Amino acid sequence: MLEVRDLSVAYGDLRVLWGVGFTVRPGELVALIGPNGAGKSTTLKAIAGLIGVEDGTVTLDGTSLLGEPPYTRIRRGISLVPEGRGLFPAMSVEENLELGGFAVPPPEGLARALERVYALFPVLGQRRRQLAGALSGGEQQMLAIGMGLVSRPRLLVLDEPSLGLAPLVVDHLYDTIARLRREGLTILLVEQQIFLALELADRAYVIETGRIRHEGSGRALLADPHVQAAYLGGASRPG
Amino acid sequence: MTFQTLLDLVLGGVSLGGIYALVAFTLSLSLATTHVLNVAHGTFMVLGAALATLLFRVTPVSWPVAVLALLAGFALLGLFFEAAFVRPFAAKSPQQILVGSILVTFGFALAVEALLGYYWARLVDPQPSFSLTFPRARVTLLGLAFSGTRLTILVVAAAAITAFHLLLRSTPLGRAVRALSQNYVGAVILGVNPRLVSLTIYLTGIAATAAAGALLALAIPLEPYSGLRLTLVAMTIVVIGGVGSLPGALLGGGLLGMAEVLTAYVLGSVWSPVVSLLVFFSVLVVRPEGLWGRRAA
Repeated sequence: MLEVRDLSVAYGDLRVLWGVGFTVRPGELVALIGPNGAGKSTTLKAIAGLIGVEDGTVTLDGTSLLGEPPYTRIRRGISLVPEGRGLFPAMSVEENLELGGFAVPPPEGLARALERVYALFPVLGQRRRQLAGALSGGEQQMLAIGMGLVSRPRLLVLDEPSLGLAPLVVDHLYDTIARLRREGLTILLVEQQIFLALELADRAYVIETGRIRHEGSGRALLADPHVQAAYLGGASRPG
Repeated sequence: MTFQTLLDLVLGGVSLGGIYALVAFTLSLSLATTHVLNVAHGTFMVLGAALATLLFRVTPVSWPVAVLALLAGFALLGLFFEAAFVRPFAAKSPQQILVGSILVTFGFALAVEALLGYYWARLVDPQPSFSLTFPRARVTLLGLAFSGTRLTILVVAAAAITAFHLLLRSTPLGRAVRALSQNYVGAVILGVNPRLVSLTIYLTGIAATAAAGALLALAIPLEPYSGLRLTLVAMTIVVIGGVGSLPGALLGGGLLGMAEVLTAYVLGSVWSPVVSLLVFFSVLVVRPEGLWGRRAA
C-alpha cells in the first residue's frame, strides 16, 4: 500500500534522513520506532508533503505521492494525525470533526461519520459543543484521531499518539488503535514508546540517526537483544 | 447641545467606527491567516479614495459605471498585493514573514505616498486631496433627519462587515480561513489549500479596505500621506479587539470612532489622535489581552 524507498531529506546542509525505506501492506499495523531526533517526524513530514525530498520515492498504491501538494494527499486515502494533535482550539469538537471531512466528504455522509467517531470515543460525543482547546490532553488526542477517521482513510498515520499523556490514558488509546486495526484499517504508527508500539505492531522498523537499523515482526524485535539493550533497559518486561 | 447635534454626533461616531472596524478586521484577518502585517493597509484606503475621486470627480462617467470600475480596480489591487507581497514569502517561517512583511509593506507605503503625492499634484490638482460628496445632504427616517453621507457610510460598512461574517461563518472557504488561522499545518493536512485561502483573503480584504477608504472620503478628505495614520488606527483596534476577532474589531472600531468624533466636537479635531492613543493606552493597561481576547494561559 505505502512504499517508502531510499528516502533522503536535508534541512539546508544538515542531512537528517539517509536512504530510509519501509513498506506498509494493506491491513497491517506497522510501527516506526526510534529515539527522539532519529528522523521519525521528518519521515512523516515527507509523506505528508510538508518538506521537500532530496532523493527517493514515496508511493501509495503504486503511484508516487511526491508530485502532489500536501493539501491534496488526503484525497488519495491517506490521513495523517500530526504530533501536537493538529486541532483547531477555538472551534468546537464538532466543528473540528467536520473539518476532518473538509476535502474528502465521507461516503456515508458527514452526520453518520461523526456518529461513527462518537461511538468510538463516547467522551467526544458528550463534549461535542465544547471548544477543542478546553479538552484534556487525552481527549484532544482522541479528537485528533477522530478527525483523521472522518474521511474514511485507507491508511491512517499516527504521529506519537502517546506523547505527553498519562499511562492509563495511553492504554485506553492503544485499545482503540488495536480495535481500529481489527476492523481492517491499515495503520502506520510512529512512536517513541517503543514497548507499547512493538506489542501491538504486526511489523516494525527501528530508525536511528536517520537510517533504518532493524526491522522485523513486533514480537521478534521485542525479543531482539540489540533492541532490548538499546531501548528496553536490557531485559524483557517482567511478567 | 440640541437633539439634532447629539444624533449627528452619534451617527458620526458609529459610522466612522464602522469603517474602522472593517479595515481593522481585514488587517487582522491577513495577519491571522498568512502572518503578513500589512503596514500599507491604510495606504490601500488612500488608494481607494484616490481612485474614487478620480472616477467621480475628474472623469465624467455615470455613477454605476464608476462603482463597477472601482470594484474591479479594488479587486486588482488585492490580487497585486497578494502576488507581490504575500506569495513570494509563503514558504518562510511565520516570524520571517511577520518581520519581512512589516519592512516590505512599510517601504511600499512610503513609495506609494510619494508617487501619489507627486503625480497627483502635477497631473490633477496641485493640492492633493481625495474627497467625495454625497448628493443627498439629509435623509429623513422615522421623523428624524440623518446626515445622508454618514448614513450611507454606516449602511455600506455594516453590509461589508455582515458579508465578511457570513463568508467566514457559513461557507466552506470561511471554515478553511478559520482553520488555517488556528492551525496552519493541521488545516493543510486536512486538505485546505493555503494559496486559495490567501488569494481570497487579499482579494476581498484589500478590496474592502480600498472601498472603506472611498467611504471615508465621503466624510473626511484624505491626503496622499494619510495612509500610515490609518494603518496605526487599524492596528490599535486589532490590539484592542484581539487578532482575528470580528466582535473585537466592532467593539474597538466603535470605541475609537466615537472617541474621535466626540473629541473633535468638544476639543477640536487636532486632539482626536491623542484621544485614540489614550484609549489604546488605557486598554493596554487595564486589559493587555484585548477587550475580546482571552488571557493567555
